[in-house]
Amino acid sequence: MVQRSLVSVVDDDQSVRESLPDLLRHFGFAVQAFSSAEAFLASEFVSLTKCLILDVALVGMSGPDLQRELIRRRQAIPTVFITAHGDTSVRSRLLALGATECLFKPFSDDALLDALTKALGTRSTCEP
Amino acid sequence: MTETIPVMLWSATPDGAIDYCNGRFLEYTGLDAEQLMGRGAFTKVLHPDDLDRTVQAWLSCIRTGAAFQAEVRKFHAADTAYRWCMVNARPLLDEHGRILKWYGTVVDMHDWRQAQEELRHTQEKLAYMMRVTTMGELTASIAHEVNQPLSGIMTNAGTCLRMLAADPPDVAGACETARRTIRDAHRASDVIARLRALFTGKELTTESMDLNDATREVIALSISDLQRHRVMLRTELADDLPLITANRVQLQQVILNLLRNASDAMAGVDDGRRQLLIRTARDDGDRVRLTVQDVGVGLEAHVMDKLFQAFYTTKSSGMGIGLSVSRSIIEKHGGRLWAEPNDGPGATFAFSIPRVPERTADAAGAVRNS
Repeated sequence: MVQRSLVSVVDDDQSVRESLPDLLRHFGFAVQAFSSAEAFLASEFVSLTKCLILDVALVGMSGPDLQRELIRRRQAIPTVFITAHGDTSVRSRLLALGATECLFKPFSDDALLDALTKALGTRSTCEP
Repeated sequence: MTETIPVMLWSATPDGAIDYCNGRFLEYTGLDAEQLMGRGAFTKVLHPDDLDRTVQAWLSCIRTGAAFQAEVRKFHAADTAYRWCMVNARPLLDEHGRILKWYGTVVDMHDWRQAQEELRHTQEKLAYMMRVTTMGELTASIAHEVNQPLSGIMTNAGTCLRMLAADPPDVAGACETARRTIRDAHRASDVIARLRALFTGKELTTESMDLNDATREVIALSISDLQRHRVMLRTELADDLPLITANRVQLQQVILNLLRNASDAMAGVDDGRRQLLIRTARDDGDRVRLTVQDVGVGLEAHVMDKLFQAFYTTKSSGMGIGLSVSRSIIEKHGGRLWAEPNDGPGATFAFSIPRVPERTADAAGAVRNS
């Protein structure tokens, strides 16, 4: 393991906030989880985050809104969107806006790892 | 003149025996004058299914001297088929009000009537399409509700496998993820169970209930949730609320949904300012009303229309089943569910239902009579 890149998860669903960090830690990443876009923006981890796993339909500021806000602040972070509203038109729109990937819930751990690898622009060094 | 007017004309004696038909009438029916004359002769040209009611109505008019009007299917010789016609007759009275004679017309309105049928058919199709559309939206929201826990299940199970396959295996971690897998599976089946409960049985099963009690129960169920979200709840439950006849569980689902929506809407509001007001009151016209008022993000004009069609813009965790379902529940009770922006921050959602829904009253009556 070369380094533990920080992956931040933003999802208002509690089971996602519980389950994803364990998996990500198992992949070898450092993880922070947030229940809202606002909470993430207010945290000290924005500039440290190497990859954002971002729910689309968040209460309050939505996932795409957060992505735009980060771009506006010149703090763009490679982003993997996740959504429970599986809709291919949403996916292509998000990819067009610069997202690395958009995964439909439920997604497999392999699909997640592929997306993270793409987002971090490296072959994963953390595959167990 | 009676032979040039483009309408079927006829006349009858005071006791209802036909004594004259114009040429158009004869031509239409394909019968000659002798066949159509006399008492009850006109029944020859009527569709058998229209016979009884037409004869009853005609006899009654002969007795009372009232104007006669009937929509009947009349035999049309040219295409050897029955066509819908409007038959009208008025009595000519003497100075004592006695009937001297009946004068009548027959107008073929078959094409008009068919156009009406088609219109009705189209309307039905449209209504069906709209139901299907709403179902489509509902399906999207159901998919959302189920996909959330499924996502947890998949991630937890994947993590569990990886923890067990590690060297050395992380058994404690695997146990924890397996436990969470089970919990999320329960969550998914809860969603399904609730939806099933909601949609099985088209008839509304009702009971006599106290809306205040039902509301208090919902509050008791959600109080820890509200506290966790730092929502300050105030209640103003009317003292004089009458008992209502309604489906308790369904109404509670609506109330719970409104509470959760209000709580969600205030997620972005500063701690200490998240105020929620639940109010019940008597409403005009023997109705009761429940109001949920929040100080959250409020409602923009352009979302007002979409609000009840689907709810994929708001995201409720757990069993939130959305405003579209809530509205259909309230409408099933003969009531109305609506939303309005507050003068200040936030929004107010309210429903108003009749104390006794009309349809249920009928159903109850039917049961008593059977």
